[in-house]
Amino acid sequence: MSISRLISLALPFFLCLCFAVPTVRADNWAVRVLERSMTGSLGLPVPTHPVENRPTADKIRLGRKIFFDRRLSLNRTMSCGMCHIPEQGFGNHELQKAVGFEGRSLRRNAPTLVNAAFYETLFWDGRETGFETQFISPLLAANEMANPSAGQVVALIEELSDYDGAFEQAFGQPVSLHRIGEVLAAYQRSLIAANSPFDRWRFGGDTNAISEQQQRGYQLFTGKAGCSQCHQIGETSALFTDNAYHDTGYGWMREHERQNPPSHHPVEVAPGVVFHVSRKQIDDVSGPSLPDLGRYEVTQNPADSWKYRTPILRNVALTAPYMHDGGFAKLRDVLDFYNRGGASHDQQSPLIRPLGLTEAELQDLEAFLQALTSADFAELAREARVEEPDNW
Amino acid sequence: MGFRKLASVFAGATMLMSPGLSLADETCQSPYMPKITGEEEFVYVWTLGKEGIGDESDKLVTVDVRKGSDTYGKVVASLSVGGRNEAHHAGFSADRRFLWAGGLDTNKIFVFDVHSDPGKPILTKTIDTFVKDTGGAVGPHTFYGLPGRMMISALSNDKDHGGRTALVEYSDEGEFIATHWMPTAEDPRGAKIASDVVDGYGYDVRALIRKNVMLSSSFTGWSNYMMDFGQMLEDGEAMKRFGQTVVQWDLHSRQPKKVMHVPGAPLEIRFAWGPENNYAFTTAALTSKLWLIHADDNNEWHAKEVADIGDPASIPLPVDISISADDSRLWINTFMDGKTRLFDISDPYAPKQIYEKVIGDQVNMVSQSWDGKRVYFTSSLLAQWDKKGDADDQYLKAYDWDGKDLKLQFELDFYKEGLGRAHIMRFGSSKLFGS
Repeated sequence: MSISRLISLALPFFLCLCFAVPTVRADNWAVRVLERSMTGSLGLPVPTHPVENRPTADKIRLGRKIFFDRRLSLNRTMSCGMCHIPEQGFGNHELQKAVGFEGRSLRRNAPTLVNAAFYETLFWDGRETGFETQFISPLLAANEMANPSAGQVVALIEELSDYDGAFEQAFGQPVSLHRIGEVLAAYQRSLIAANSPFDRWRFGGDTNAISEQQQRGYQLFTGKAGCSQCHQIGETSALFTDNAYHDTGYGWMREHERQNPPSHHPVEVAPGVVFHVSRKQIDDVSGPSLPDLGRYEVTQNPADSWKYRTPILRNVALTAPYMHDGGFAKLRDVLDFYNRGGASHDQQSPLIRPLGLTEAELQDLEAFLQALTSADFAELAREARVEEPDNW
Repeated sequence: MGFRKLASVFAGATMLMSPGLSLADETCQSPYMPKITGEEEFVYVWTLGKEGIGDESDKLVTVDVRKGSDTYGKVVASLSVGGRNEAHHAGFSADRRFLWAGGLDTNKIFVFDVHSDPGKPILTKTIDTFVKDTGGAVGPHTFYGLPGRMMISALSNDKDHGGRTALVEYSDEGEFIATHWMPTAEDPRGAKIASDVVDGYGYDVRALIRKNVMLSSSFTGWSNYMMDFGQMLEDGEAMKRFGQTVVQWDLHSRQPKKVMHVPGAPLEIRFAWGPENNYAFTTAALTSKLWLIHADDNNEWHAKEVADIGDPASIPLPVDISISADDSRLWINTFMDGKTRLFDISDPYAPKQIYEKVIGDQVNMVSQSWDGKRVYFTSSLLAQWDKKGDADDQYLKAYDWDGKDLKLQFELDFYKEGLGRAHIMRFGSSKLFGS
């Protein structure tokens, strides 16, 4: 073998070493994650696991592998992890709305999966009841992973040699659709990150963990601004959600804009270079934009139109863009929307009203939201990258 | 090293050393490649499949362009490869015997034999391990033939489908050789960052052999190039993720040397051919600017904005470009208004538009013959970026250029023919390979 050939063979290995994650060892990470999954984190309750699907290190390890396996889509390009990107808060900073199979459009933003274990229902409209079954929807949706059937995916995993023995080790049984759901659930429920400065201040007894400005923001959050009416904070823990559905006016506002688009739209084509593009020019290259009626699409009850489940606000500074369609790029955009009192349409929740927050109060409130960032968050991304994504 | 590989390297070296032999191909090809000295006989069109059109599959379409032939202007072969792979660009191996064609979505590379029967290419190999081979590069784009190997620029990666990506090398036999990741702020890989802007993005790759220079440009990642164009224009986050750089590389060592700031997504790179002309052109798609990438007297390379293309405020979206063999003219297509524009680039620092013509409701690729007398156009940009409804005309149009005007010779409607979306064109000829 020539030297050049040796170098060319060694180079990829060397590059892999250079890009390898230094702090997460492949052999023990799942054991540590299992412990976290069973005990939780400061500021959150102990996660609840279904009796029939108790987590194990083997399930978590296998769930992570499937989560990032790009082969498990019709054309081998999509995985759960292509929309829920670990380094982008297990969501996607770079898109307002998700893009799926063959570039097909989704109507909604890919939400963070961190702490999703504490939701009673899943998806923005709450149409799914548990992680064990949630995966089937994106697996089969024509605009997500586009598999022709669930059975095809089970058969594919059976064929892939790198899964040999993995399900048998985790379950004592071969792969099945049910078991795929169980390992994905075990991994996703392990994505827990609390222990934020707020948690140390509120539940850990560290009076200096957050600044005076953040403490003022907390008073606003639980008082004048009324945020905690839905983003709830308990006595011993805080989920920052009521697991309920609300019409904040935002969904209605977006649908109104969809039906009555402005004649021009500002487009920043390069940093600082903004052109106002005509509606016709945009429409010439646009596929159909679809309405989004929120919870109504699940219940068919008109009273549920434009209702969406209250999102958990933990780590919110790391999970832009915001709202169900990613329409707000910055936290301040969200605060301004609520300070205005939402969109003021007939069905809007009475909880949403003009707040009258001053500029200083808005800054205090945003500072408080920054205090919800967990120091453990980055570790979840490192664990996710313990091995490279699987490709064909 | 196999015999064929050895022969390829030898052929490339021989071409470099032969002063009397033209190194050029029909104006935009790798200079290592033999060129068609007479008229091209066939145009190969790498075509995207479309739902509801024909067999819906991506395909290599061969069109007879031999004037006087009974099948002139007709499809003489159509080879479906299966699936919609986001067929995009294609390039010949340096010996021009094989055409490599990539899929930006599925990352498959299809290698066609175009020498055994130039009128009927044969699919000889499919590389479906590109992402795994390369350690995560996604979206094989430009195929630039180097002696014995293929240099491929990728567009994205398998971690986040964003724009960070790499240059990749395969042998002519289809064996993976190396991945060269683009310089980033975290890892500039020794490159000088000219103006504090570095993005790690990729698009085209081209070389100026006598200066040992290779240039790469920068577009955007999978999430953007695969998504609905109109949706993207209204997505402020997505619009932040376009390339702003051209990278100068050491051709031989593959080391990045300098990152130049070229905002607005610089796409195709075309080096001038003249031995004294140490420059290349590129167009920034979003800002509609023509840029000159040039060497100064000290052999330092710089990027300079030299002209507007149409009215930038209306986002004409310059896409493919084609430089004339004498470095005096540059065709620039603008997708949104369907125009081709001819620039006089005799003074590369002050190009001027001297002609324009509407080719269709949309236009993307342009290819001209070496003598500049024949110019071909196709329509498709990307599956989700093409115009919708009646404006989504898909075609190959062939023109003669008399120095003053383009005169239509034939046109093929790729939808009526049941083919799909017509993208890149490459020329073929039996005369390249003898009897």
